[in-house]
Amino acid sequence: MRYLRLLAIFARTELQFAAEYRVNLLLDLFEELIIVVTSFGAVLILFTHTGVINGWTLPQMTVLLGVYYILQGANSVLFETSFERFMEHVRLGTLDFILIKPANSQFLASARHVQVAQAGQVVLGLVMIGFGIAQIGVGVGVRQGLAFVVTLACGLALVYCLLLVLSTLAFWFVRVENLLAIFWAFVDAGRFPVDVYPGWLRITLSTIVPIGIAVTVPAQAIAGRLDTLGLVSMVGGTVLVWGFAGWFWKQGLRNYSGASA
Amino acid sequence: MSGLLRMYRVLFVANFQAATQYRVQSVLWLLFAVIRPVVFLAAWSAAAKAQGGSIGDFTVGDFAAYYVCLSLVSQLTMAWDAYDFEYDVRQGKLAPKLLRPLHPLHYAVVSNIVYKVMTLPALLPALVLIAWTFQAHFQTQLWQLAVFVPSIVLAMTLRFVFGWVLAALAFWTTRLHAIMHLYDRVSFIFAGQIAPLSLLPGPLAVLGYALPFAYMLWAPSEILRGGVTFDQAMLILLAQLVWLGLSWLAFVAVWRMGLREFSAVGA
Repeated sequence: MRYLRLLAIFARTELQFAAEYRVNLLLDLFEELIIVVTSFGAVLILFTHTGVINGWTLPQMTVLLGVYYILQGANSVLFETSFERFMEHVRLGTLDFILIKPANSQFLASARHVQVAQAGQVVLGLVMIGFGIAQIGVGVGVRQGLAFVVTLACGLALVYCLLLVLSTLAFWFVRVENLLAIFWAFVDAGRFPVDVYPGWLRITLSTIVPIGIAVTVPAQAIAGRLDTLGLVSMVGGTVLVWGFAGWFWKQGLRNYSGASA
Repeated sequence: MSGLLRMYRVLFVANFQAATQYRVQSVLWLLFAVIRPVVFLAAWSAAAKAQGGSIGDFTVGDFAAYYVCLSLVSQLTMAWDAYDFEYDVRQGKLAPKLLRPLHPLHYAVVSNIVYKVMTLPALLPALVLIAWTFQAHFQTQLWQLAVFVPSIVLAMTLRFVFGWVLAALAFWTTRLHAIMHLYDRVSFIFAGQIAPLSLLPGPLAVLGYALPFAYMLWAPSEILRGGVTFDQAMLILLAQLVWLGLSWLAFVAVWRMGLREFSAVGA
């Protein structure tokens, strides 16, 4: 509860910063709109030539793209700027000032710089999901809805853990400019279901860089293509990864020696 | 002229030495060149399989050949000067660079070429792997290979100069990132990244052939995979030349006006 309140405070202060540059804010929103519209356009072009891709229909793909933009948006709103600043702090040795604050350091590093303006992507993602579901029509029951919400939360957690681990690596590799580039390189692959990719890429997207399953599994849940085993392993896997990322963060923190040491 | 050549030689040596320090970073950037083409290649392959093996006149093997070529071309034509330039303007680092005896363009040319020479050895095995995974089918004939050479040189120069036109906009606005994102999205559709131009729906394809973006990526890729007739190839080269000429004129004009603007701000 306390952390939710902190989050709200962070969001408010960052929004005040952003409101100083109103044209910027509008440009950001416009950019998000362009990005989402062109991505959807790409899918539409693909579907002018076929009715189905690897068993995925257009409405199902619409839902998938919606999930993709919700995850991307959540990343931009909460984590992206926060982690970039965090790595800057490690490089400069100013992380000390965060560590002495009376709140969980992992939380402060992950979500201090909330970018409210980026929420446009999340909204557009929700619109696409709604649109997709409406087109699928019958067959989206309570069970599918529930599975969707659970797996979407898991997907969010997986993306968060990936970013946390990549950022934590900054404790050891201060010089490597920006390891988050790994995330940015692979994130493009999230726009299609992970099962269309060849083996090596599918495995990468399901394990080391779990963007693929984070996007695909919730969309499968809506489409009713997710069995109980899939649901259970998604939840179990997320719990494991979550535990590992937290442990890894602590190891990194132990390795940090501060500015003056 | 021999003075310029000597200058270039010195710059090349210095740049190569600097580049060897950042090999990890270079490999990271390489991921970008490989993953986007693979994403759309995988999607088109799945679509083609659902349609019984081919879409338009593209079989799965043709798609693979096209996207392998596209990946190579997008790496070879890459130009990132707008980002660096905006940073320099914003941080006030441009003024000392303008005082140097050589135009900033020369430094950019050298670092651009050095980066590509450094990354190519890592890219080629990755491309072989992709071509093998998707069973790429190249129809390239010898003359197409020959035409590819001027076409890729024109594409590299066009994308480079076009990038500098955008870079020079930093004289007026430091919100260049928004413009660059827009450029990236337009290329995404019209340069042949989401689909070979012939598979775009009618009006979009017409726009694609008319705009300059396809001549940076689609054109050399299509020539290299062997997907064009001789007449088409000549038309493509002509279009590349025209767009290069126009971009160069635009660059000269924008740069001259921008410099005036810049000195006014700095004074």
